[in-house]
Amino acid sequence: MSKLYGYTGHVLRVNLSDETYRVEPLNVKDAENYLGGRGFNIKRLYDEVKAGTDPLGPENKLVFATGPLVGTMFPTASRFNVSARSPQTGIFGDTNAGGHFAPEMKYAGYDQIILEGMCHRKVYLSIRDGEVDFKSAEGIERKTVYDTDLYIKRSLGDSFTQTVVCGPAAENGVKCGALFANQVRAASRTGMGTVMASKNVKALAVRGTGSVEVAEPDSFRDMVLKLEEEIREHEQYPGRRLMGTTRILMMANEAGFLPTRNYTSGVYEHAYAVSGERLAEEYNVKTRGCFACTIPCSRIYTVKSGRFRGLHGEGPEYEALGSFTSRLGNSDLELALKANDLCNQLGLDILTVAGSIGWAMEMYEAGELTIEDTGGVALNWGNGASILKLIELIAERKGFGDVLADGSAAAAKKIGRGIERSVQVKGMDLIMADPRGLKGFGLGYMVASRGGDHLRSEPFAELSDDPELGRRMFNSPDSTLRLSNKGKGKLINYFEDWCAVIDALEPCKNIMQNMMLLPFDRAAEAMKITTGLNLSPGDIRDAGARIINLERMFGVREGISRSDDDLPSRFKAEPLTEGASRGTVVDADLMLDEYYDERGWDQATGWPTGETLRRLGLGFVVGDLP
Amino acid sequence: MRRIIVHAEQCAGCRQCEMVCSFQHTERFSPILSRVRVYRDDRNGLDYPVMCRQCEKCPPIDNCPTGAMKKDLRGVVNVDPQLCTGCGLCQELCKFEAVNLGLGQALVCDTCQGNPQCVSRCPTGALEYVESDEFTESVQEAFNRMKKEWSLFE
Repeated sequence: MSKLYGYTGHVLRVNLSDETYRVEPLNVKDAENYLGGRGFNIKRLYDEVKAGTDPLGPENKLVFATGPLVGTMFPTASRFNVSARSPQTGIFGDTNAGGHFAPEMKYAGYDQIILEGMCHRKVYLSIRDGEVDFKSAEGIERKTVYDTDLYIKRSLGDSFTQTVVCGPAAENGVKCGALFANQVRAASRTGMGTVMASKNVKALAVRGTGSVEVAEPDSFRDMVLKLEEEIREHEQYPGRRLMGTTRILMMANEAGFLPTRNYTSGVYEHAYAVSGERLAEEYNVKTRGCFACTIPCSRIYTVKSGRFRGLHGEGPEYEALGSFTSRLGNSDLELALKANDLCNQLGLDILTVAGSIGWAMEMYEAGELTIEDTGGVALNWGNGASILKLIELIAERKGFGDVLADGSAAAAKKIGRGIERSVQVKGMDLIMADPRGLKGFGLGYMVASRGGDHLRSEPFAELSDDPELGRRMFNSPDSTLRLSNKGKGKLINYFEDWCAVIDALEPCKNIMQNMMLLPFDRAAEAMKITTGLNLSPGDIRDAGARIINLERMFGVREGISRSDDDLPSRFKAEPLTEGASRGTVVDADLMLDEYYDERGWDQATGWPTGETLRRLGLGFVVGDLP
Repeated sequence: MRRIIVHAEQCAGCRQCEMVCSFQHTERFSPILSRVRVYRDDRNGLDYPVMCRQCEKCPPIDNCPTGAMKKDLRGVVNVDPQLCTGCGLCQELCKFEAVNLGLGQALVCDTCQGNPQCVSRCPTGALEYVESDEFTESVQEAFNRMKKEWSLFE
């Protein structure tokens, strides 16, 4: 192995406490074993952040990493992961975004950027190739995400600078503070914005003049052209092109798993009024895209009349759209657009915010929260004015917003009741798909290394509801039947490994995984053509499993075991009563037993066995098993 | 003559044009090596790929001190790297900001010898290579037009 292509080969380590920095070489072994992105980040954090570290203290580290495909014309390769110990969950915090930040990081010369320590003053970092400037953030303290991005570009006199910014919510100590690239591409889960704000860093601004080289340019061009052809011919292409992820809302409603009124129903009677179809017909004016996208799927909407006249922006994506509509019983699409925009400006994770508000509304409707408890905010389903009011209160940590600011589980704990109505796993509020209608997704939520979330596995094969696919992929027809509890261990084991690989190489999961375009063998081919590293499809899959196991060990080190891998009781005991997912519940234990078995983890504790860890070359963590 | 025409309202700002331009000319990927640069307005979601318009009258050519910049037989602007000193006068004189001086020498769109790769790779049809008159809309004018058309009030 003479030269490593694709990667920049450099890691930037910034010490905020003494305002110094140094450039370190990328470890080639890490490239082979962890591939990039999310893999690089878990390796770094496992090695350098001790168990029990205060997530908002100087010992926590915030790491940004991107992958070997990024910065080239590989379709959709635009993403980065940002990770730290999470202030929201206490386990591995990690989140991912697209846009144009990640390629700029590569051009500046870095595969990974480590922020350590804590700055003694408020700064933003201007990273231009090999130079890092610690710039005063006095002018942008508690400024919105949009204004901060504009301010930095103006004061650097460079509109081609790419930023990652946290908002005022993170600076106010709200634990679900997000990070934003290009103003609206959110790395929003697990509170990574809050970690950055705790270090007194408002933003990173990156600009580079370097370039990315690939190992086999001719093969690279052929591979890209072939992939693009497959994307354009794919059955999902037209829907994604028109609506992006918002196309899911109507599908979810028809299948009866659209979370409605805090998951008390899977069907929303006003679904069309708040659908991606309606957005496309009445509000969208233009397509937008992340870097190097072939689809592209993002949309610019504008509200031309009414009380939100003049409101315009990018998105929303499905999770935000559903969060502010069916989840809260709100049929006013324009209000949802406003709520989405407000969260983006203030720098909030929408799933946490809507999880908290949905929980509070259900409590209020059940008479368990009164108007005195909420400080005068009426929380009947669909109360739009209250939704907007609470978003602002949450961002400021004021009044009832202070109770809701860290998610529904934390809110229930604060007031001493209502945990059974909190729809979360490991302290992270769930996404917009009811697991009673998608059992494999439910297993994915239970075991996800960052808490309740689908992007660790996203087993799209289950949406096919086609037993033949399950027979072919896993020798288990049940595995791809969405209402079945059987065969899901195999399904999630496979899709988790796959998602880890995608998050390490850093193309778009929607395209490369959901559309099934970059399976392990093709990922191996892409790695060889791009980087020159000769890894087999099995090696690639092992890298995915290695990432999953190391992330699990990060959780185990913080005290996670089988009892934490669970779902809210309503999914296990209360069947949905209407729609196409009615009549069944989740059998959590059955699925977990199967999953641990597939993973080579101990059934009783849910911990990886020493044998499993050693097989994956993770012998160095065996001593950390309790 | 045939020109690369921009339909800005179609542009998604994905920058595949920058990538293929850089790759086509250098086998590497970087905006600094590209002869097209996408101007992006994230607040309003507007995008505009900027490249040489192949104007009939070209002040950079008329004023190039070393004669490095000239038109070829098809009327396409070309830069002779042997002669270009990177003085930057062309960049100052091109009112469409179509000259890239990022690496110290002028880079200008050469239409890939009549087969512009950016046009064939554009995923949204924002670029077209057609027989056309000169077009003179600036980035700012295009942004203002789209803001008005779509009620993108500040």
